[in-house]
Amino acid sequence: MDPGLILVQTFNGLVYSSILFLVSSGLTLIYGIMRVLNLAHGSLYMVGAYLGITVVLYLMSGTPLGYLLAFLAVPPLTGLLGAALERGLIRRTYEMGEEYQLLLTFGLILIFDDLVKMIWGPAYINFPDPNAFLGGFRFGEYKIPVYHILLIALGFSVFLVLWAFFSKTFTGKVMRAAAQDSEVVEAMGVDVSKIFVYSFFLGSLLSGLGGISAGPLYTASPGMGTDIIVYSFAVIVIGGMGSVPGALAGSLIVGVFRSLAIAFYPQMEIVVVFVIMALVLLVKPTGLFGAPEFERR
Amino acid sequence: MQSESEEVSFEQIAIAVGIILLALVPLAGRHMTHLVASALLLSLAATSFNLLFGYTGLLSFGHALFWGVGGYTLAVMMSRFGLGYVESFVMAVIMSAVFGAVIGFLCVRHTRIYFAILTLAFGQMFYGVAVKWDFLGGSDGIYGLPRPFNTLELYYYVILAITLASLFILYKITRSSLGLSFMAVRDNAFRAKFIGLDVSRVRLTSFIISSIFSGVAGALYVLLETAISPETMLWTHSAEFVFVTLLGGPRVFLGPLVGGFIYSFLADVAMSATEYWLLVIGVVLVAIVLFFPHGVLGYFLKWREKR
Repeated sequence: MDPGLILVQTFNGLVYSSILFLVSSGLTLIYGIMRVLNLAHGSLYMVGAYLGITVVLYLMSGTPLGYLLAFLAVPPLTGLLGAALERGLIRRTYEMGEEYQLLLTFGLILIFDDLVKMIWGPAYINFPDPNAFLGGFRFGEYKIPVYHILLIALGFSVFLVLWAFFSKTFTGKVMRAAAQDSEVVEAMGVDVSKIFVYSFFLGSLLSGLGGISAGPLYTASPGMGTDIIVYSFAVIVIGGMGSVPGALAGSLIVGVFRSLAIAFYPQMEIVVVFVIMALVLLVKPTGLFGAPEFERR
Repeated sequence: MQSESEEVSFEQIAIAVGIILLALVPLAGRHMTHLVASALLLSLAATSFNLLFGYTGLLSFGHALFWGVGGYTLAVMMSRFGLGYVESFVMAVIMSAVFGAVIGFLCVRHTRIYFAILTLAFGQMFYGVAVKWDFLGGSDGIYGLPRPFNTLELYYYVILAITLASLFILYKITRSSLGLSFMAVRDNAFRAKFIGLDVSRVRLTSFIISSIFSGVAGALYVLLETAISPETMLWTHSAEFVFVTLLGGPRVFLGPLVGGFIYSFLADVAMSATEYWLLVIGVVLVAIVLFFPHGVLGYFLKWREKR
């Protein structure tokens, strides 16, 4: 094996880890706070990419300013969309079994996939290459695009911001408390239904940010939401469901191993992720950073 | 008391009429025969899924995996090893049980959403294997298999007979002491433990039986289509089982069957009407969850009780 290729693939893996982290941190924080697993979380990632291409290509015709605008405007929009879904639809399932939650959010995936096809068409849409204005470095025979470096930096900064938010701010602390026991938090005078909307806003914002980040790397396509959500499940199971540091660890593991598999054993690309997941489950069923699961009666 | 055993119940009449209608389906043309055959197999898979879900309380979101295991085993045995129909089918059943035992062992230690996500992930994993492994035909799958008796109509009766027999076995299981232990675990695993049930073992048993019959449905489906592709193992296919079950009603044995037929006909109509038929299915799904969570058969039985 060529050590240069290993390095480059590890680097590419970190880029993918970064996007995985943006999506799965949103998924895991919604699950952690509300015990809701939003299957349509990947759809918000897809919507993020499509809104991104609309701003970058159709409104700003590929200028650097368009990219800046897309990164600033799109994530809050997907956040609002997620909050609206929680308010309008998902909230109504809290009193029902979680199978209804999963099914409702699965129905949303089908709806979003077809709506995207209706609005933007079924074909893949390429983003204008951001490295055209960002440039890149040479590393031996390989090229390292600046956009990839920025994405890795983005992933780590989001982790730091989330960490600061949950440990330093009042709202973040209340959200963590609601994750522990929403009834007690409610008894202390906090409007828990607001906390739920905030979590959906924040989680969906992160997913949309993942989508706009991923768009220039992998194009925008109608099936991209279901692709990423399945890997995100593996990430949060490996890291421990509900844990943001777990999502970081899981993203790093999945991103790097998948990327190395693509280079050296391409037929193992999908399998390697789930083999790691199965191994983690055998050794530590609650995931690397997960708290022990308790069975409600 | 006397009259109870002699009187024919409404359910018995409905089932008899249903079986007669099913037997007459080939008269309605090839399209209808194919549609009903697929509906029967989807219903069988959904009913076996519901043994785990409705009766044991475990929501599997990866059950299409066992459909795929049954299907791929049959296809591989026939095309790669040259076995006959019966031997291949038996192998498909055995492999479904083996996969059910191994994956079940890993999954039943968890419940609720965790269980759902694990089964989903294992389903995706084997989808990944099927897509990338040339032995299984890669992304094209395995195609060009010969259909038994060479005609759709005769094969339809094979499907009908095996489906009805499987449903009968599953029904007997739900009525046996084993079925009661499934429900005890579903209703309260904590108490079930106290009366001496080995909860994990009960769950695993249910998981294995459930995988076997999903495998049977998958194996029969391969010969209906004369092909199998990796997409049959995708989690979207697993979600179909869940959808169909909730559509019909998870607390009634025949709920998934009713749901399977409604879904198949709805999808058939929607597919010929619009290319965005999944959008239609999605809207129906959301509406069911919000407005009719007990399923068609569940509401029907409630309505009959009231009268």
